[in-house]
Amino acid sequence: MSMTTPATVRALIAEDEPILAATLAATLRRLWPELEIAGTAPNGVAAVQQTLELQPDVLFLDIKMPGQTGLEAAQELAERWEGARPFPHIVFVTAYDDYAVQAFEQAAVDYVMKPVSDTRLARTVERLQALTLRDAPADDGLAQLVEQMRALLPAAAAPAERLTVIRAAVGNIIRMIPVQEVLYFQALDKYVNVASSDGDALIRLSLKDLLPQLDPDQFRQISRGAIVNMRHVTSASRDDAGKLTLHLRNRTDKLRVSPLFAHLFKQM
Amino acid sequence: MNTFTRFFPPAPGTHRPLLRRIADDVGLTVIVCVLIAVLITLVNGRTFELYDQMVYSLCVGLVGLVVLDGLRFTLLDDPARRRRWLVPCVVALVMMAPVAHLSGISLGSLMLGRPLPNFADYPNDHGEKGMVGLTFLAICAMALLILNRERVERIKLERTEAKARAETIERQALQAQLRLLQAQIEPHMLFNTLANLQGLIAIDPQQASQMLDHLIQYLRATLSATRAETTTLAQEFEAAEAYLGLMAVRMGARLAYRCILPAELRSARLPAMLLQPLVENAIIHGLEPKIEGGTVTVEASARAGLLEICVCDTGLGLDDTQTAAKGTGVGVTTTRERLQVLYGARAALTLIPAQPHGVLARLTLPLETA
Repeated sequence: MSMTTPATVRALIAEDEPILAATLAATLRRLWPELEIAGTAPNGVAAVQQTLELQPDVLFLDIKMPGQTGLEAAQELAERWEGARPFPHIVFVTAYDDYAVQAFEQAAVDYVMKPVSDTRLARTVERLQALTLRDAPADDGLAQLVEQMRALLPAAAAPAERLTVIRAAVGNIIRMIPVQEVLYFQALDKYVNVASSDGDALIRLSLKDLLPQLDPDQFRQISRGAIVNMRHVTSASRDDAGKLTLHLRNRTDKLRVSPLFAHLFKQM
Repeated sequence: MNTFTRFFPPAPGTHRPLLRRIADDVGLTVIVCVLIAVLITLVNGRTFELYDQMVYSLCVGLVGLVVLDGLRFTLLDDPARRRRWLVPCVVALVMMAPVAHLSGISLGSLMLGRPLPNFADYPNDHGEKGMVGLTFLAICAMALLILNRERVERIKLERTEAKARAETIERQALQAQLRLLQAQIEPHMLFNTLANLQGLIAIDPQQASQMLDHLIQYLRATLSATRAETTTLAQEFEAAEAYLGLMAVRMGARLAYRCILPAELRSARLPAMLLQPLVENAIIHGLEPKIEGGTVTVEASARAGLLEICVCDTGLGLDDTQTAAKGTGVGVTTTRERLQVLYGARAALTLIPAQPHGVLARLTLPLETA
C-alpha cells in the first residue's frame, strides 16, 4: 500500500459485478487521475466494513448488491460512522430500474446510471472535486446524507391490519403480549426480540413486516434494527460524539437512535 | 345410425343420450301410475284389487308414454318443428286419452287373463268414463312435467356451454398474455448487461464479442418466444445457456452453471418460455443476492412418458419469509397457470428446498417428440 498524503482524495467502489467495478475504476482514473481508489467491495456487507476501515472521502455505492442494498449500506454507515474523518460523499450507482430515479432527484442525491457515460460521470467528478477541495465542516457529508436518506426511505408501507396481541414463543409456551405493553422491538439476526415489562420474547417476523401492523403514532422506528413504543420513552440524551440514546420507563436498557431518526427527539 | 339420428334429431345442445331420456321418462311414468293405482284403490275401497289396478294403470301409463315420447322425439325436440307442432301435439294427446286407456286396459286384461273390455260399449258408465278423464289428466300432467323438465335442462345446458365457450376464449387470451408476460426482457438485466459490455470492450474485446453473442442469442430466443407457441428443448436449452453465459460474465467467479440435455430429448417439444423463468428465478432469487454465489444445474430427463426438467441452485433457498413470495411469485404462478391451461393435471411445477441449501424447481409435462 502506498503512503497517502492527507491531500489525496480516496474513493471506495462498492459494486458486485467485477467488470463494472473495474470499468468504473478505469473511467475514474481517466477522468480524475489524482483520485486514489482505496478498494472495491463486492457486496453490501463488505461495503460497510471497508468504508469503516478505509474511511474514504468518496463512496460509489451500487444500489443492487448481495448482502444488503446500497441504500441499506448507506443507512448502516450513517448509524455506525465514528471515524475521525468526515463522512464520505456518497454517489449511488444504479441500473435502469433499481430504484426510481425520481426519488434520487427529489432527494438531491448524487447518482450515476449504468451503463455509466463519461460525460455524466465527469459532472459527478467535478462536483466531488469541488466538495473535497473545500474545507467542509466535519460532519457535512453525514448531515447531508441524513437529509437525503430521509427523503429516500420508502414512504410508510400501506397500513396492514393492526396487531393487538403479539404471540411469542418462550420455550414450549406461547406468550400473549398486548401490543400496548411492548416497550420496543429489536431485530436479532432472523428474529425480532419483543421487550415488555414482563421480560423478553422472540418472534419470527422481520421489523419491515412488523412496522405496518403497528400504530404509527405510538410505535416509531428509531434505527434499522429497532422500533420503540413512544409511550415508554422517558428521555433522550446525546453523548459527546453526538450519538442519541433513549431511556425507557422502569428499564435500564438504552436504545441507540440512528441519525436518520434523530429528528423525532428534537426539543419542541 | 344415420337414419336414426335423422329420424330422432337430437335436441340442440342436449347431449343426454336418447335411451337415458327414455329411461327417465319410464321411471317417472311408473311412479305416477303406481300413485294413481293406489289412489283409485283408496277411493273405491276395494284394497284386494290393488294389484289389478297397478297392472292396468301401468299399461295405460306406458301406452300413453309411448305416444308422448314418440311425438316428443319426432316433432318437439327440434325447436323449429316444435313451434309448428306444439298445438297439434297437445290436441293429439287429449284425443289419445281414450285410446291409451282402452288399449291399456285391454293389454292389462290380456296380462291378467281377464275378459277384454266391451269395445261396443266403450266407455261404459261403470267407471270407465271417469277413468278416461283420469287418464286424460294424467297424460296432461306427464306431458307438462316431461316437457318442462327437458326445457329446464336444456336451458341449464346452454348456459353451461356458453360459459365453457367464454372460458375457453378467456383461457386462450390468458395463455397468449401469460406467454408475453414470461417473455418480457427485464430492463434491469438488459442495462446491466450493456454496462458490462461497455466495460469489456475496453478491457477484453474478445470476451466482449463473446458476451455480445450470448446477448444476441438470448434476445432472439426471448423475442421469438412471444410469437411461437411451442419450441424444442434444444432451443430452450440454448436460450438458458445464453442467459447463464451472460450472468456468468456479470457475476464472475460467483456463478457456475451446468446444462445437461440428453441427445434424444433435443427435439422434444414444449411450450415456449417455460424453462427460462425458472432459470432466471434461480439467479435472481437464489444466487444473485447471495454473497458467495453458487451453482445452477439445468437438467432434462424422460421417464414414463413424462418430460422432467430440473433447475437446481445452491442459492439462498426458500426461507420462511420467502416461501410465500416464491411459491406464489409472479413467475411461478404464471408458469403454473400456463401448465394448467395447457395440460390440466398432466403437468406440474414443484419447488422444494435443495440439499444442503438452495431450491430445486421441478417441471414435469407430457413428453412430446416431433
